[in-house]
Amino acid sequence: METWKKVAIGAAAVVVVGGGTRAAGLWGGDKSSSKDTLNFSLPTDIQTLDISKNTDQYSNQIIGNTGANLLRVDKKGKLAPELAKSVKASKDGLTYTATLRDNLKWSDGSKLTAQDFVYSWQRIVNPKTASQYAYLATGVKNADDIMKGKADVKTLGVTAKGNVITFQLDHPMPQFEYLLSFSNFMPQKESFVDKQGKSYGTTSDKQIYSGPYKFAGWNGTNGSFKLVKNDNYWDKDAVKTKTVNYQVIQKPETAVQMYKQGKLDEADLLTTDLYQANKNQKGIVKVPEARTDYIEYNQTGKNKFLSNDKIREALNLATNRDELVKEVTGGVSTAATALVPAGLAKTASGEDLAKYVAPGYTYDKSKAAELFKEGLKELGTDKATLTIEAASDAPVNKTMVDYLQGSWQKALPGLTVNEKFVPFKQRLQDAQTQNFEVLLTAWGGDYPEGSTFYDLFKNGSSYNDGQFTNDAYTAAVNKAETTDALNQAGRDQDYKDAESALFKNSNYNPLVSKAHYSLQNSNVKDVIRSTTGLIEDFKYAYRK
Amino acid sequence: MWKYILKRLVLMVFTLFLVITATFFLMQIMPGTPFNNPKLTPQALAQLKTTYGLDLPLWQQYLSYLVGAVHGDFGTSFQYQNQSVSMLIGQRLPVSAHLGAQALVVGIIAGLIMGAVSARNKNNKIDGTLGILSTLGISVPSFILGIVFVYLFGFKWPIFPVSGWGDSFSQTILPTLALAASPAAITTRFVRSEMIESLSSDYVQLAKAKGLSDKEIVNKHAYRNSMIPVLTLVGPMAAGLLTGSTLIEQIFSIPGIGQQFVTSIPSKDFPVIMGTTIVYAAMLMVMILITDILTAIIDPRVRLQ
Repeated sequence: METWKKVAIGAAAVVVVGGGTRAAGLWGGDKSSSKDTLNFSLPTDIQTLDISKNTDQYSNQIIGNTGANLLRVDKKGKLAPELAKSVKASKDGLTYTATLRDNLKWSDGSKLTAQDFVYSWQRIVNPKTASQYAYLATGVKNADDIMKGKADVKTLGVTAKGNVITFQLDHPMPQFEYLLSFSNFMPQKESFVDKQGKSYGTTSDKQIYSGPYKFAGWNGTNGSFKLVKNDNYWDKDAVKTKTVNYQVIQKPETAVQMYKQGKLDEADLLTTDLYQANKNQKGIVKVPEARTDYIEYNQTGKNKFLSNDKIREALNLATNRDELVKEVTGGVSTAATALVPAGLAKTASGEDLAKYVAPGYTYDKSKAAELFKEGLKELGTDKATLTIEAASDAPVNKTMVDYLQGSWQKALPGLTVNEKFVPFKQRLQDAQTQNFEVLLTAWGGDYPEGSTFYDLFKNGSSYNDGQFTNDAYTAAVNKAETTDALNQAGRDQDYKDAESALFKNSNYNPLVSKAHYSLQNSNVKDVIRSTTGLIEDFKYAYRK
Repeated sequence: MWKYILKRLVLMVFTLFLVITATFFLMQIMPGTPFNNPKLTPQALAQLKTTYGLDLPLWQQYLSYLVGAVHGDFGTSFQYQNQSVSMLIGQRLPVSAHLGAQALVVGIIAGLIMGAVSARNKNNKIDGTLGILSTLGISVPSFILGIVFVYLFGFKWPIFPVSGWGDSFSQTILPTLALAASPAAITTRFVRSEMIESLSSDYVQLAKAKGLSDKEIVNKHAYRNSMIPVLTLVGPMAAGLLTGSTLIEQIFSIPGIGQQFVTSIPSKDFPVIMGTTIVYAAMLMVMILITDILTAIIDPRVRLQ
């Protein structure tokens, strides 16, 4: 056979085999973008469907969309009754009573009862479950004792009678209503959990669902799966979408390209480079995150410079947050104005909490230099050395610490700043053992209420890594969580007082209120977005 | 030969034991706990440690791990709640093995063909081009090729899907090609030099003198002799694919074992780190053993002892 004939036959074979298999569907046809289907992605694998044990925000995307709780965030961003007809708080804020809707069903058609809620609350605080989110239940009667193994789970202050669930609290909890929408407290059916035993929630078949969608196609490790409309959901008429396709795409660049090709309805621009390259794309939207990056000063006395009020104030004044945000995040995030991030919560009058409580952190180079000089004089020296520690896992931390080092050294003559980068786990350990001088910390909120941040620095709190005592701050936060627990306007003022107490003593240094940009197909309507809890709720979502 | 294989198997078990011991104690040097939530209070952490038996003395944890491992129980992942390590690896290993085997087969076949073509066209343009290609194939890491392929065939000319696994055959093409480049290049180089040597050897001269055609000489005599060094390469190449696939799995979002290994380390997911290390070690040892046995079968001059 002559060479050209061989080549021709070979080429023909490739075309036939390729075309044939493609036609036969072996290549996987293009994902249909028909009207009742949405296409989304996740940047990491799902870890679990175990409602009590999940801590991962991406697994929560699935758990939250396939489950329902007593309350759910509605289109206006407010809590509205979901599986409960009503939720009522007693005047003292110590008792909540929830009445369930009639004829609630699990996705397998079985009856969903008040007992399923009681069981779920008991399961998360049970030390045998070993849930990392059990602490959220602190404040419910006997929860802490049960977690410590000192009391039986049956003594938990959550009980059911008929279709009424009663919650008894040790003290008023301003965030309690949010917990009633939180996915870790969604109902679970005891007989089902027992039947699955150790493999509960490890595949989509080993879970039953109470929410707008059922979960399908996940074998525990694979990267493509979908949400399918749940016909046993109480409010199924409100669910217009039949299928939400999900695939795991680990490279953000790939997700962006697929968005441009129309294969995905959304892609997050997770790096500064990606944002710069796509900032003129159609559908770009800024997405605030419930996270603040801030600096903690070790105030245990280990470092004499950081125990000096003037030096800490000088460091705070020498921090140019606007420039930092521009240099470090390319203008994606915003300068922090307080401990709470922008977009976390609103005040009683509808203002952003971060704005309302802001005590006025500013950049004043000359005042900073002056205070620094005075501080050093008090300590009888003219030189100071400080080490900033940060986690090495996030590359952006390096840029951030570099910036701080450069600008502080420039603004404060006599100051030498060293950098120390350690793995995240080491940083965590150093924070808890006060083995640091200046520490870069990131904190994410659990629910849209100030206490998720202001609990941090109470006197003696284990999250107060710098171990400072600030009585005015502690008093203000305690007031918010007791006297003002059910009085939002009062609480707003308390948080404002707390923030200004921190400001006055320069106990910490807020840097960045995190956000990222995202490309979102504008034809997909009514995805409900929150900064905490369920980040994207597809209950009402539909393609126009 | 059976005695030899048995001896090697016993040695493998001993090596595995050493690997388990070393990994177990090295992991203890890593800071922190397997619990990633920074919001856990010291009391809550202590409680979790008790529940999982992490507060026991180290030797006790080590012994109970060994006992479990002997019984086939490799523990439960901390990161993937409730998932047993056997299940996680059991589902992910076939994916990696599928990808690796596909890349190895494609790579070796391409290498055998290109090597032979190269040898028969010694020192002309074809040989030169193939020489440049194989040098590139050896020196460019698979993850760079992976990214180049994603750009070219995923976005510039969107012919193939660029992420995922298991939905269609086409998803396997780009990662397979990216991984196959290096074994193809290595095989090409070896086959070429072996073939040139064979073609000038006495028995080939004899075959020529007998009046056999070039084709017959190459297919019957030269190829068989050039195969031996290639076979000895399969073991190391397979090992290279195992490590190379970690990054390829990340680029193409393939749920394989390499990806699992990489994510388990920073989260300090002890049972998964141990499990994947054991699997990697065992696979490597088995590969080397198979290579040794195959070499002995193909080349009677090699004797196992």
